[in-house]
Amino acid sequence: MEFFDTKKNWSETNIRVGRSWKLDELRIKSNVDLHKLWYVLLKERNMLYTMEHECNEQTRLFPNPERIDKVQESMNNIETVIRERNIAYYKLETGETGERPVEDVLNLFGLPEKYNKQEYYIPQFMNSRWVRPYLEHGYINSLAVKKFYRLYKEKQYNEVRKARNRDFNHVQQLLKRFPNMDMEKLKAEYPNVDIEKAKRTKKARGHYMPLY
Amino acid sequence: MKLVRPYPKQLPNVVQFHCSMEMTKFDIKNYLEKIYNIPIVDVRTNIKVGKFRKDYGKGYIVKDDDIKCAYIVLPKDMTFKYPDLFEGLKKEDEESMKSLDEAKKSFNDYLEKNKERTDVPSWFSI
Repeated sequence: MEFFDTKKNWSETNIRVGRSWKLDELRIKSNVDLHKLWYVLLKERNMLYTMEHECNEQTRLFPNPERIDKVQESMNNIETVIRERNIAYYKLETGETGERPVEDVLNLFGLPEKYNKQEYYIPQFMNSRWVRPYLEHGYINSLAVKKFYRLYKEKQYNEVRKARNRDFNHVQQLLKRFPNMDMEKLKAEYPNVDIEKAKRTKKARGHYMPLY
Repeated sequence: MKLVRPYPKQLPNVVQFHCSMEMTKFDIKNYLEKIYNIPIVDVRTNIKVGKFRKDYGKGYIVKDDDIKCAYIVLPKDMTFKYPDLFEGLKKEDEESMKSLDEAKKSFNDYLEKNKERTDVPSWFSI
């Protein structure tokens, strides 16, 4: 069975391996080579999973667990290279990318979401079960969802408001402690704060008499 | 897909795998026949449901992952025995345990020797 490592490595505590395949190295390979390499890596990954599982069962240390990550990275790189080639081919032949189309939809909580389109055996309007929550008295128009969405928006707004106030207060404190500091840099650091307004406030005044 | 030690005890021509949840029996059969060239008579699967347990230290309930187990039946004349992978390491373990015992013993001897003079530093001896 090819699911096990070579017998030499069974009692090894440190197995040295090379690095993973890089994108540029894979780009110059032919499709046939990539196909073969994919299966080599797939077998290697299965082997590593098997050995790791057995090590965990027997409460042993699995030597060099980063091997799994290296193989996985190589496999991901192969996939991106193949995808690049596929997109190039489809653009040349059909003018489209050939990727799965993505649509912006509202999910059942009323939040915007990316949806990867897929094939169905009946169209949407015929699918009575799917269409139910989107009807006039469906779930998506219910009070619960509206309330959730309102509170969610409020929470988001509060975060922005708090950040604004926090920055304004911080600028006031800075002006109090360092009245002669570089205003342009302060403006660059806090672009949303009205510095002239912050200067005029009571908090920005220090506990000292004005110089002039 | 990983090959695991058979549990419970299986017949000599049955091999056990953990595989991806999406794989069907036909997928498993094709996978092993095409990629690994293993002759297969029959494939059986079951899904082992992960345990619900309290997270250690946090207290909330977590669920372990479900696992799809595949039991592959090889032809009658083929047998598979899961190898003992850590035979070589067992000797090393015994040696390290021996040296640990020796260290313990020498430390006990040292304690025994200095029992009567606890206020004397350890280097003050013949």
